[in-house]
Amino acid sequence: MTAPSASSAGNSNHSAIILIAGTWDIAMRTPIGTLRAALTFSAVDGTLQGVAEGKTEQVPLRDLRVEAGHASDGSAHLTWGQSITRPMRLELAFDVTVRGNEMTGHSRAGRLPQSSVSGVRRSG
Amino acid sequence: MLAQIILFDGFDPLDVVAPFEVLSAGSDALGGILDVRLVALDKPGTLVSGTRGLTLTATHVLDPEAPGMIILPGASGPIAGDPDKVRTIPVILAELGETTMPDLMRRALDAPDTLVATICGGGLALGMAGLLEGRAAVTHTQGNDVLEATGTTVVRARVVDDGDLVSAGGVTSGLDLSLYLLEREFGPRIAHAVEKLFEYERRGTVWTARGPEALAL
Repeated sequence: MTAPSASSAGNSNHSAIILIAGTWDIAMRTPIGTLRAALTFSAVDGTLQGVAEGKTEQVPLRDLRVEAGHASDGSAHLTWGQSITRPMRLELAFDVTVRGNEMTGHSRAGRLPQSSVSGVRRSG
Repeated sequence: MLAQIILFDGFDPLDVVAPFEVLSAGSDALGGILDVRLVALDKPGTLVSGTRGLTLTATHVLDPEAPGMIILPGASGPIAGDPDKVRTIPVILAELGETTMPDLMRRALDAPDTLVATICGGGLALGMAGLLEGRAAVTHTQGNDVLEATGTTVVRARVVDDGDLVSAGGVTSGLDLSLYLLEREFGPRIAHAVEKLFEYERRGTVWTARGPEALAL
């Protein structure tokens, strides 16, 4: 068993980590309503780590991978897995794109239809 | 022996009434040894179903460790609509997960002489609460993909017997579930007597992990 808090940097690179670092307020449109959470990405010893904080629980992000997009637009493509228990038990797979301080993309649980995800990076 | 059928805000009436009538008739056929009750999660009183405001009264509060069976019905209500504005079935089931239901049902599943049964979205409510990981179960056909996403092994049968957890599919399968519970607990003669009275014959095979696994057909 690996430690649950370990997030692999995978093929991430330093410049891409800088593009996504910080805390993001995200909203996810699901069949049980809009769920809100705060995601925090940081580099620990050059390794990208992430954590999601919902209304009642805090969970580490797994298999976190980030790739810088075209140098010109400063975008980054980000994927990770997340196990949640509240408001319901789900294994979620996220796939989002970050441009500046905005995040858009989707999450998916098993064979369920995608849920759209949008987020904004907190300033400061 | 107690049969406790749970009422909650937004329950599906048929999911409650079908087992109530079947188990009550079974109790009569047994000379009254089965005490069939409608119960609430917190306090006795009237609860409003999800269908046109129909109400039923819970006479007792759920005792999660009482020997016997506990039946969790599903919800009724709209399926379409913006879940931020409309109280859809998934929203009702998610709200149920915010009550004492998960803790009480976890205790029921841990209790040695208590059988947990679900009908329709009741199975999904347990799955959403994280109580069915690795268990074999079924819910309403429209909820089976969600149930699978909660880590449950979904078996698309009308009734699924997973030991101390017996689950059934959509609404009318509550009849099949409760007749099966009578047969499992008290024998086929009791179940058959109730089938005759109700002029209803069960359909579908009750799935249970017994015998050889089927090869792909």
